[in-house]
Amino acid sequence: MIGGSPWTRRLLATVGVLALVFLTVPIVIVIPMSFSSAKSLTFPPPGFSLRWYETLFGNPRWMEAMWTSTVVAVISSIVALVLGALAAYGLRRGSFKGRDWAEGNFMAPLIVPTIIAAIALYLGLAKIGLLGSFVGLVVAHTILNVPLVMMVMGVAIREFDQRIEQVAWSLGASWSYTVRKVMLPNLAPSVFAAWVFAFIGSFDEVIVTSFIAGKYETVPKKMFNELILEVNPTITAVATLLIVLTVLALAAVVMILGRAGKLKPTLV
Amino acid sequence: MRGTGFSFVAPLLVLMVVAFNAPIVYMLGLAFWEKGRGFTLEHYQGLIETPVYLKVLGNTMRIALIATLANMAIGYPLAHWMRGLQNRARLIAIALVVLPFWVSILVRTYAWIVVLGNGGLVNRFLQWTGLTDAPVSFLYNEMGVTIGMANVLLPFLVLPLFAAMIKIDDRLLQAAASMGAPPRTIFWKIYFPLTLPALAAGTLLVFILCLGFYVTPAILGGGRVPMISNLLDTLINQIPRWEQASAISTILLIVTLLIFAAYRRLDRKASA
Repeated sequence: MIGGSPWTRRLLATVGVLALVFLTVPIVIVIPMSFSSAKSLTFPPPGFSLRWYETLFGNPRWMEAMWTSTVVAVISSIVALVLGALAAYGLRRGSFKGRDWAEGNFMAPLIVPTIIAAIALYLGLAKIGLLGSFVGLVVAHTILNVPLVMMVMGVAIREFDQRIEQVAWSLGASWSYTVRKVMLPNLAPSVFAAWVFAFIGSFDEVIVTSFIAGKYETVPKKMFNELILEVNPTITAVATLLIVLTVLALAAVVMILGRAGKLKPTLV
Repeated sequence: MRGTGFSFVAPLLVLMVVAFNAPIVYMLGLAFWEKGRGFTLEHYQGLIETPVYLKVLGNTMRIALIATLANMAIGYPLAHWMRGLQNRARLIAIALVVLPFWVSILVRTYAWIVVLGNGGLVNRFLQWTGLTDAPVSFLYNEMGVTIGMANVLLPFLVLPLFAAMIKIDDRLLQAAASMGAPPRTIFWKIYFPLTLPALAAGTLLVFILCLGFYVTPAILGGGRVPMISNLLDTLINQIPRWEQASAISTILLIVTLLIFAAYRRLDRKASA
């Protein structure tokens, strides 16, 4: 094997471990801070308390932001999932003029800098009078999360043997019966993963939301606005909740995909 | 003629064209048109004549470049180290790279305030070791922004790089060793060239993302480290100059797409 002398190996391991520490330090440090009893941000915390969670849950504006975030994330992730999965099916199974172009267009929100999407949506929504509207917010979140759905569902449909579908058809199954009894049970783990990714994507979205949401406050938007003004320990509690949400969601995805043996193709 | 499958794609395509493509085209229009006079380049002329814009552009380029180089310097050894790990350790390492990727960028940026602040972990460590007497200011300057950006973007480089490295057949390296090549030669003549397309592709991707970065400079820069995105924010939300913002956005969009085209070529090479 390569790696050379024990010295180079030791050096490599040190760099590797330090890199992982660098990567995870922000996440690791926020969680204990949220249970701090101190008013200022000091690490390690001088004592344990739940005061920041009490402040958070006692603040109606934070609660409202959580509600808005949840509603927007639920609606936009479901729309992105349904439209994205249908489109992924059409792209993988169909052949029509402009297919590559359509696929590129669906992935574009991932490549175009988010700030540009934010400005374009701001100008466009202002033009048609939907700036600061709920509809505008949900549509924007839907578009931004389409690429995540496309990536997961594209792989899943490509891996799903088309002949299984054809057998169902040829045995006389109707279209809706094939979808319900043959395709969905097979694709369910990937559908779940795609939905989770779209949900997290929407729940964490901050840039476009800050530009176009108007009076609507989502959790990341409120967090961002407060961070620019002052360093407020309540944010550590919000951050911890976001970390927990992400860890649980990812664990669920890994478990469900792993059980179906679909973890590898989806991740790589 | 439309072939099969188009009806599945159509609903999403309509939504995308109406709610994504049309706004971008409208933005491009604002950048090049003036009411009643038609096509104009005057918004671009305004850009060149205003030194502030050029300064922000230079700032952005410099920070993006440094953050990208830092990413390479940290990411390559990390991915290479992960490749050599045993199964369980490797899984843990992958999890530790993937998890930050999905955690809100706000959370990851915010924590650096605690770590890098004057009374933060790094400064207390530096003073404890006696390396410095007074706290070093990492926050609200380019240093903090660069550290934060490198941190947020690291998974974007490490994951594809690791995927490329894991595909390299061990027998190839063993063959070279059995023919007497020293480890250094094996690394530089065989291993490194095989990872180069993925490294180049990942680097370009990170650079593109750096150019459009908004959240991290806004928080860790404290308004003192303006990058293109923050300038755009000012031009839209504070002193409304939509045409100017559109002109800058158009340039950023074109630069991004050009780099992305290069990325696609390299990425195809890397996954071939």
